[in-house]
Amino acid sequence: MSEHEATESSAGGGTTRRDVVVKAGAVAAGAVAAGSLAGKASAASRYSFATPKIRYGGRLTWALEQDPVHVAPYGAILTSNHWGKQAAYDSLVEWDKDLNLKPALAASWKIAADQKSITFNLRKGVKFHNGKELNADDVKYSVEKMLAPPLPGSITTVSQVPGFESVDVISKYVVRLNLKTRDARVFGFLAWSRYSPIVPAGLYDQINVARNAIGTGPYRMLEFVPNDRVEYVANKGFWKKGQPYMDGMTLKTLPDEQARIAALRAGAIDGATVSSDGANSLRGVSGLTVLKGGTAAFRELQFTIKGDPKPWHDVRVRQAVNLAINRQTILNAVYGGNGNFSGIVPPGYGPWPLTQAELKAKYQKYNLPKAKSLMAAAGQSKGFSVKLSTFSTPLDFQQVASVIKSQLKAINIDVEIVAQEPGTFAANNGTGNFEWDLTARGMRGDVDGYLSEYNPSNAIYLRWYPLWKNQKVWRAVGNGKITLDPAKRLPLYKNAQIELQNDLPQIGLVQVNKYQVVRNRVKGMYVAFDDFNTGLRNTVWLSS
Amino acid sequence: MGGYVLKRMIYMVPTLVGISILIFMMVRLLPGDIVTVLAGADIGSDPELIEKAREQLGLTGSYPEQYWRWISGVLQGDLGDSLRNSEPVSTVLLNALPITAELVFLGLLIATVVGVPLGVLSAVKRDSKHDFVARVGGLIGVSIPSFFLATLLLLFTSRVFGWVPPLNYVPIYEDPIENLSQFILPAISISVFTLAMVMRMVRATMLEVLGQDYVRTARAKGVRRKVVISRHALRNALIPVVTVVGFEIGILMGGSAIVEIIFGLPGLGNTLINAIFNRDYPVVQGATMLLAFIFIFANLLVDLLYGVLDPRISQE
Repeated sequence: MSEHEATESSAGGGTTRRDVVVKAGAVAAGAVAAGSLAGKASAASRYSFATPKIRYGGRLTWALEQDPVHVAPYGAILTSNHWGKQAAYDSLVEWDKDLNLKPALAASWKIAADQKSITFNLRKGVKFHNGKELNADDVKYSVEKMLAPPLPGSITTVSQVPGFESVDVISKYVVRLNLKTRDARVFGFLAWSRYSPIVPAGLYDQINVARNAIGTGPYRMLEFVPNDRVEYVANKGFWKKGQPYMDGMTLKTLPDEQARIAALRAGAIDGATVSSDGANSLRGVSGLTVLKGGTAAFRELQFTIKGDPKPWHDVRVRQAVNLAINRQTILNAVYGGNGNFSGIVPPGYGPWPLTQAELKAKYQKYNLPKAKSLMAAAGQSKGFSVKLSTFSTPLDFQQVASVIKSQLKAINIDVEIVAQEPGTFAANNGTGNFEWDLTARGMRGDVDGYLSEYNPSNAIYLRWYPLWKNQKVWRAVGNGKITLDPAKRLPLYKNAQIELQNDLPQIGLVQVNKYQVVRNRVKGMYVAFDDFNTGLRNTVWLSS
Repeated sequence: MGGYVLKRMIYMVPTLVGISILIFMMVRLLPGDIVTVLAGADIGSDPELIEKAREQLGLTGSYPEQYWRWISGVLQGDLGDSLRNSEPVSTVLLNALPITAELVFLGLLIATVVGVPLGVLSAVKRDSKHDFVARVGGLIGVSIPSFFLATLLLLFTSRVFGWVPPLNYVPIYEDPIENLSQFILPAISISVFTLAMVMRMVRATMLEVLGQDYVRTARAKGVRRKVVISRHALRNALIPVVTVVGFEIGILMGGSAIVEIIFGLPGLGNTLINAIFNRDYPVVQGATMLLAFIFIFANLLVDLLYGVLDPRISQE
């Protein structure tokens, strides 16, 4: 048994403009530097797998903890949807495992001088799984479907899509993407590929996209059986030479963790995601390897700042709450000491988040005396009662809530924990129907995804905190969205985060680790920072 | 008999209508709907887009309007489409139903094939070691939750034998051996409660029947013990067993959901649970109506079987 662990985050070291230009130049010969690189994810898992010559062939079975439900390319693609379809589709650009931007179906690109359009030169000779060659018409069709996703997708997530206005087909292999305005989110959105696969024109008229897929990805979907499995075979004509490595793979839906653990022990599956307890139970089991890594999913405490006056409408109370929470205790008590402190941008998300040193020494340093004095200054020495809603499952949410409840007793805040079924919680959170929420954030295509909610232009702002105002943040977030140069963009978001650490309309808590257990024959797998099983399609091969 | 069946079928109609209204309202009383689940991926969703999505999915209009749209479709054989993957609900249910039906059939088969002989043995050898073991086993059987047993079985077979049931569902007509290997542990898991109930019930009724005059008379006439037990006593003792098994058909059809999830079987219960989490109203409604129908129909069959097993019981 061996274990491969993520290195400690050194996020926040910053990426120089030169770094960015070098990266962009390397990936897009002759192209202008791309505007929205997420940068290098320093907390993404690194593995010291011995690297013998890659062996081709074999079939892998991977257990999914949720059914994909459908594998349609566009619309509201939930995490489990993307697990199901990820191996079948590609986008114009992609991230490597450290979130560096790379060309994919677009071999290169050029941003117009006014930054309101991007011209992509498509890779020639790329074939879809049905044998058709990729061309500019396919890109136009795909973008149009992104903007108006038919069923079973949903238009609810269209605001995730950057301001695409139209697509011009310049020639067979050249396409121009026109933007409504300058928009720094474009490349992150495309590279993430969750909402942006490129499909053959007319796909929705050719197949039932809920049950089948035709993309250019490394694996071709054979069938999707809801609540059971997704079957893939290798795409022999994949555009990346030498890939994919396996003959095929099966994604088997096994929602019960004990069933996944039993299947791992019996060798019936090659890998699965498990909880930290599950990983502990498999440590020492011959033939299995435990992988660990941070992901974009961090825990966060949210307030509503609206309606009748509440004690936490006073910034001093929010600051007191922030100082009275001991994040290391949360990590120790709930996550076995594993994880990181997290602001509102998760550690490892390129150069964007505040560093661990900044958080631990300054913004998130546990300081109970100061918390008490802030409560006193706010006239809240006697404290108050509040309802803290959270998810009923996974259980760690309730456990974190319990730790917070006990910690806030010290400043006389009486927290009543309300555990809600996930659908109920989502409904209440989305409508702002809560006092405090203990929630989580996930992966975003661009850093704006973590900060846009602090700008009144975002619909959620009015539902959560219409009484909270901070023009510095508004300005930084608004300008950040339209600033394509990462070097200029970085200080805007850093300053916004620092401002938010003082004003605290929401409080970042901790980033937790994700565990995946694989059989020793599985090589090249890693815990992807984006919380998907990205390694399966890109890097995994079987040694036997 | 025909009149009785017709009368019972007519009674089914108001029951099913009542259930349909109840289920329709219950799923809508859950906070949030499919759109809030989908929009959860984008907290900044525009309220206008959310409303459009509701229109796209047919979730607008008052509840009575929505109910009427749905029930009039049902009456024409159209259960609607899944809100999550747009598949016709009838297809979703038809794919899932055979899996659950097979699971329940095998579970009940194990329960009766093992439970009845055990109950008879226990009654015939009353207060013996066999009886003691069977009674204690029966007590454990009715106490142990099926999901717990399922997990224990999985962990046991994986640790001790390095084996778990095949993961990918294969229909029995394609590969009977693979199919039965897949179903054996889930079937045992769901059978144990029913098995224990059957065993206890057979034991109790057999003891009662064995003390009846007609049994003593048969013995006095010199009929062999085995024949008395199997022909005279067991047939009468089976009537309550039919009741239990009949009820269990309906209960297990819906109640096997957790076991299906544990073993990764894409059955009806698994489908229903996922649909509830996804607020997939048409699938929840369709699956629940189907389960209700099966439950009522199984009860009708039980009542009819009474008459076959004991001609003294009139259906009038």
